Amino acid sequence: MDVDLDFQTGDAGASATFPTQCSSLRKNGFVVLKGRPCKIVEMSTSKTGKHGHAKVHMVGIDIFTSKKYEDICPSTHNVDVPNVKRNDYQLIGITDGYLSLMTDGGEVREDLKLAETDLGKEILQKYDAGEDLVVTVLHAMNEEAAISIKPLAKQ
Amino acid sequence: MAALSAAEVIAQLESAAKVLMAPPSMVSHEQRQHAEHIFLSFRKSKSPFAVCKHILETSKVDYVLFQAATTIMEAVVREWVLLEKNSIESLRTFLLTYVLQRPNLQKYVREQILLAVAVIVKRGSLDKTIVCNSIFHEVSHLISSGNPAVQTLACSILTALLSEFSSSTKTSNIGLSMEFHGSCKRIFQEDDLRQIFVLTVEVLQEFSRRENLSAQMSSVFQRYLALANQVLSWNFLPPNLGRHYIAMFESSQNVMLKPTESWRETLLDSRVMDLFFTVHRKIREDSDMAQDSLQCLAQLASIHGRIFPDERAQVDYLAHFIEGLLNMINGIEIEDSEAVGISSVLSNLISEFPRSILTAIPSELFSSFINCLTHLTCSFGRSAALEEVTTNGVTTRDEEEISEVQEDDREMFSDQLASIGMLGRISADHCIPLLISLLEDRVTRLHGQLQRQQQQFLSSPGPATLDNKVLDDLYEDIHWLLLVTGYLLADDTQGETPLIPPEIMEYSIKNATEVDINTTLQILGSPGEKASSIPGYNRTDSVIRLLAAVLRASEVESRATRANLTELLSPQMGKDIMWFLKRWTKTYLLVDEKLYDQISLPLSTAFGADTEGAQWIVGYLLEKVMSNLSVWIAEQDLANDTVQLLVTLVERRERANLVIKCESWWNLAKQYASRSPPLNYLPSSVQRTLMKALVLAGFAHVDTETKQQYWTEVLQPLQQRFLNVINQENFQQICQEEEVKQEIIATLEALCGIAEATQIDNVAILFTFLMDFLNNCIGLMEIYKNTPETVNLIIEVFVEVAHKQICYLGESKAMKLYEACLTLLQVYSKNSLGRKRTDVAAEEEQYQDLLLIMELLTNLLSKEFIDFSDTDEVFRGQESGQPGNRSVSAADVVLYGVNIVLPLMSQDLLKFPSLCNQYYKLITFICEIFPEKIPQLPEELFKSLMYSLELGMTSMTSEVSQLCLEALTPLAETCAKAQEAESALFAATRHFLKLVFDMLVLQKHNAELTDAAGEAFYTLVCLHQAEYSELVETLLSSQQDPVIYQRLADAFNNLTGSSTPPTLDRKQRMAFLKSLKDFMANVGGLLCVK
Repeated sequence: MDVDLDFQTGDAGASATFPTQCSSLRKNGFVVLKGRPCKIVEMSTSKTGKHGHAKVHMVGIDIFTSKKYEDICPSTHNVDVPNVKRNDYQLIGITDGYLSLMTDGGEVREDLKLAETDLGKEILQKYDAGEDLVVTVLHAMNEEAAISIKPLAKQ
Repeated sequence: MAALSAAEVIAQLESAAKVLMAPPSMVSHEQRQHAEHIFLSFRKSKSPFAVCKHILETSKVDYVLFQAATTIMEAVVREWVLLEKNSIESLRTFLLTYVLQRPNLQKYVREQILLAVAVIVKRGSLDKTIVCNSIFHEVSHLISSGNPAVQTLACSILTALLSEFSSSTKTSNIGLSMEFHGSCKRIFQEDDLRQIFVLTVEVLQEFSRRENLSAQMSSVFQRYLALANQVLSWNFLPPNLGRHYIAMFESSQNVMLKPTESWRETLLDSRVMDLFFTVHRKIREDSDMAQDSLQCLAQLASIHGRIFPDERAQVDYLAHFIEGLLNMINGIEIEDSEAVGISSVLSNLISEFPRSILTAIPSELFSSFINCLTHLTCSFGRSAALEEVTTNGVTTRDEEEISEVQEDDREMFSDQLASIGMLGRISADHCIPLLISLLEDRVTRLHGQLQRQQQQFLSSPGPATLDNKVLDDLYEDIHWLLLVTGYLLADDTQGETPLIPPEIMEYSIKNATEVDINTTLQILGSPGEKASSIPGYNRTDSVIRLLAAVLRASEVESRATRANLTELLSPQMGKDIMWFLKRWTKTYLLVDEKLYDQISLPLSTAFGADTEGAQWIVGYLLEKVMSNLSVWIAEQDLANDTVQLLVTLVERRERANLVIKCESWWNLAKQYASRSPPLNYLPSSVQRTLMKALVLAGFAHVDTETKQQYWTEVLQPLQQRFLNVINQENFQQICQEEEVKQEIIATLEALCGIAEATQIDNVAILFTFLMDFLNNCIGLMEIYKNTPETVNLIIEVFVEVAHKQICYLGESKAMKLYEACLTLLQVYSKNSLGRKRTDVAAEEEQYQDLLLIMELLTNLLSKEFIDFSDTDEVFRGQESGQPGNRSVSAADVVLYGVNIVLPLMSQDLLKFPSLCNQYYKLITFICEIFPEKIPQLPEELFKSLMYSLELGMTSMTSEVSQLCLEALTPLAETCAKAQEAESALFAATRHFLKLVFDMLVLQKHNAELTDAAGEAFYTLVCLHQAEYSELVETLLSSQQDPVIYQRLADAFNNLTGSSTPPTLDRKQRMAFLKSLKDFMANVGGLLCVK
């Protein structure tokens, strides 16, 4: 595991990851596998011989690239868990391939690129059609991506 | 296909067969599909008999021959009513002769043709047109030919008949009802089966007399032996067994021989069993055949039921059998391969013959039998254990990987352990001291070994050099000693109060005069010392000393963890200790004298109510639990066994009273409330159980002040921490911070644990406490709408609360919960509708949410049929509602809930089988319990529901289809009662009539659904008589073939042609259902012909 990542700081000054004991991980939770933030999609334990100690086998999917990673480690060991944040923004514009996003508090950021994914295309299409959208942005280990959209609720 | 000549048909089929038989690389997927299609449509062609005969006579391609046989078989059943009886007869003769004349046919072709013969015979037995006897006549001719090939064929014919008749469920799918298969089987087992058996026995007799058997002969011998085994393993169907029971009955695995009375002369003839003993002696060196002959003997050993006219007959049979068996066994050296067979012979004898019969045989014979039994049990047991060791090796740390799915030995070997425990109790005098000395010895050695390892660490730090094998062997011994001790000392009861086994109680009482109570207590109270170091250690109560030996094992473990030797310990042993102590606690701790006729003084002095011993041991157990929960947090199973022990300690008030007096318990509660390591690292399921235990202890009988203080330590911090987090002004901004999320998740987990602790006597307090949280959780649902893990957990909290509490709630409380649930669903729906997610696992998470929501709604609905709130006044003084007069029913709530979530159920999500089943179970429930609510639903919801039903009926699994059909009957009945001809439900039922009609008449019908479909069909017909007549007319008028037209018209006439119009009267309904079965037998499948 890449130790350096622990000390890279995110936006709020918190570390990008924190350690926890392997046994406390849960399915649907997050873990750093091979230096990448992953969602745990499978977890099982095994032991070597009847009187051996437990080992945890994890399968995770990279939350940004959807690549699959696996790892096995003694359940007493510590593993890193990424600090994962999801923030909702209102989409207020798209300029030069960048999204203009506004928080509830009215702050605007324009540093998130419109990805060339199906979701990206849909965002563009809906924006062009004049729909008001809320975009959820996933943030972990200094990476960000839009992961879901929803029409803005009418007040 | 009609346009093609027979020769062309054959050419087409042969080339299709070539494609199918070609290696995968040679043909494309499309070619293969096309070829399959050719065969499938050929099998559906009308009256294919002439062309099939032609194929059988001319084609050289085996696969085509096979398909021709299949086609004949299917067509005969399908067109049965259209065929002349003598043409069926000649078809059968043709097939038999065909096989006889072609000894070199491929085996699979021959078997298929014989299967077709068997199916014809079976279908014929329904209308008595074909008599089985002629077949047996032919077969006995074949057997007497003396030609092995012909005899083999005869055996195949009998085997085919036997398998076709043997089961109503695994039979060829010829579209007939379970009753039909059942009654065929009953007729068959009375007469024809016995004929088969007699023929078989004759053959076996003949062979057993011969001296030298050629290889060919011996193979014929083997086949008949296998056939005899099949007959003796016949699952005799009792008379008058309903459809559902037939299926259940026939799914039973080990069939014991329970023939009808008509078999008396055949089977009670002692020459029959003698024959099988002789046969076995003759062929026992051939392990394949020996398996069959032993199985025959095992079946004969299991014989019971009305075949015995009286007890005398049963005793005679048994005595003769045992004599034969002992002669057989004593004359031979038993082969390993015979062990299983001989064991099942013995086991069947013991389990099927009542004790009184067994002891009524001549006493000399009886004691030889028991000696033989003992000898074999010990020697087989030893061999089995040795085999285990040689094949698996003594398990060591470096060997095989064991996955979590593998059962623990205590479950995997529970049968064996229960027997060992039982034997141990019977000879307690011998076994308890033996267990004590073995356990004390191994524990002392373990202690020594661990000390040596530690000294080695200290003198030369670094990797361990000592061999772990010594430790592993000790762990393995202790593991089994603990399991055996646990099974010997106590039973695992569910729902009952576990009692000290009488043998153990007597043993303790019997030796009480020799016992020094003080020394006994001293041995118990000093687990850190060697038992033999205590003066007078031999004058102690052995039952207590056995427990003390386990505590010594536990103490060695605890000390090793304190000396940082955890790495060397076996988590398995840790689990065993926890498991043992839990089992022991349930039975022995605070032994209740009222439950026993006589009580042992040492036991009541050591563990009785208000004894120092009991308080001491509770304290000791709690210390151990605390130690485990800090040392073994990473071993989930062990941690789980540990918290289970904790639950056992507090789930009964009397024990909880002692627990709550212990300081360590309060420490545990405080530590857990502070959410600090190590407890917060425990796996979530373990944390929930821990929370459950903490809550349960709060209902111990203590003074109000203590109780108040306890709640202040346990529940209030939870509430306080939660409120502190969510009431922060900037909560919305910081809600994604990791610490905040963890705090929230920990709270939600704890709430699930609290709900789990619900009991009838605490629900009033817990409900009030949880309700505050539930309302706050709805707010959380809004805040965390983009955080699926949290959303999922919030729903789970609601599911748990509803599951554990709804049945106890009175009206106003139930209303509160309903309201909270509905608001939750509204928020969920608002936040999910229109959202498009592309994150990983999005679909999986939506599926999990909806599954939980379905579960929640089902839990709420369960209030309609499980409701304790009126009889048990658990909220007395709190509630002033009038019972039985609810303004809002659970059904209203659930329907409203369905309305909210239905738009979220996509057809893709319904592809998850568990979600699909849960959804359909829910809507069927609603339709069955509250059909009158359905017509009042909002239009959109009504439409969606009806569409769901249609979809479920037509394009899901048969289980779902059955559920939907079951939902239709009450809906149609509601309509009939309301008599509103223009309601939407009325129109919908009209549409369903057509669907069910098509399902029964036009599609290949699944016989399992006939009952449900029939019920629905009848009610719908009553409701829409004119439309039904129209459907029948349309169908008839589209028939061009006059023969089919007439058959159909007759069938419909028999079904619904009576002069009185059908009504919703039970008698009429039953009559209809009965005629429907005939209808299905006569024309079912007739119309799905191409």
